[in-house]
Amino acid sequence: MNGLTMATVLPADAPANPAERLSALFDAHYARLYRLARRLAPDADAARDLVQDTFLRAARAPASVPHGASSEEAWLVRVLINIRRDEWRRAAVRARHAPLVPDARAASDQESAVVARATIWRALDALPPRRRAVVVLHELEELAIPAIASLLGISAITVRWHLSAGRRDLARILRPQMGATDENR
Amino acid sequence: MKTVREMLRDADPVRTEDGARDPDRDRLRETIVAAACRATLSESPQLSGSPSHSLSRRRVVVVAIAAAIVAGVAGIGPLIWSRGGATLQAAVRFEVRLAETQPGADLLEAGVTGSGTAIYLHREIVATNDDVARSRVVRSDDGSRFSIAVEFTPEGAEKMRHATADHLGRPVAILIDGSVVMAPVLRSPIDGSAVISGDFNEAEAQRIVNGIIKN
Repeated sequence: MNGLTMATVLPADAPANPAERLSALFDAHYARLYRLARRLAPDADAARDLVQDTFLRAARAPASVPHGASSEEAWLVRVLINIRRDEWRRAAVRARHAPLVPDARAASDQESAVVARATIWRALDALPPRRRAVVVLHELEELAIPAIASLLGISAITVRWHLSAGRRDLARILRPQMGATDENR
Repeated sequence: MKTVREMLRDADPVRTEDGARDPDRDRLRETIVAAACRATLSESPQLSGSPSHSLSRRRVVVVAIAAAIVAGVAGIGPLIWSRGGATLQAAVRFEVRLAETQPGADLLEAGVTGSGTAIYLHREIVATNDDVARSRVVRSDDGSRFSIAVEFTPEGAEKMRHATADHLGRPVAILIDGSVVMAPVLRSPIDGSAVISGDFNEAEAQRIVNGIIKN
């Protein structure tokens, strides 16, 4: 009896059992989804909730998740962004009445790199979730525009439009920190 | 004078936080898999509404059913779980022990059945028959291989998870009647269930399944 090792790769065809399917999905995509969620959500707790809600959508209807790593990833990423968009819309009124970015002078007065970084990061909160996702995927995950288009299921033109608008919005908000920086660089 | 990209990269929390050590990961995994099980059984009233409201990560009572080991289950056909009590069967001794690939102090050398390789067992037994809730025979697609799926009791699952979480990348030994039938390298912690894969014939696999549960 020569036991197979548990390190054996998963079978090419996904497990038929929903629990096994979800286990496999989670193991394959959790880290990637958490990174994206952390960059889309306001804080780590919100990011974890976002990832959980994404996988719960898959748990409710595992048959709707396409097979294949890239198709799974695209499905999960789109669901995650849609959930984040719903949250963002619900919070939109509150956000409109709150300052998006703390006073930069107040932050600099504290001379805290942590506060400065948080200030910059909060500028992303001004972007609608899909635009923010495009900016994050391109600027931080370094995905090419066609890859982002494929992942999000939108056209390359739309990706470019979101990227351009996102950079412009961020540059406007971050101008005090940037000085005379070229916003499109 | 920084660009937007440079500023974002400087501020990116993913670069400063250790996501790999996220302590909530395992709990979240169990929650998700448990939800999948409940959805499958159509017993998911909590899932009928918005998941963000009905099953908050912080409020969920985790049911550990997760199958950490799904590798090696290629082409397994579903068979009926057995409590093994319907027919009198000779008891089968089932043990799980942590193991090492190299000899060491206080380790017990054992051969892995059929492989010709040696493994070095920890003396402490992680789980036994008492920790098994159910077991079943699983058959490969072509019908030539038979394996044994074991589902642990909640206590057994907790023992397994606790013992294996700090043993990743190293082997764990599954013993049947004192023989090491497999010694897989742990890729992820084991919790809810495991599949004992090997070249069992059907009668042997069924004997083990029927005898693995203490009545």
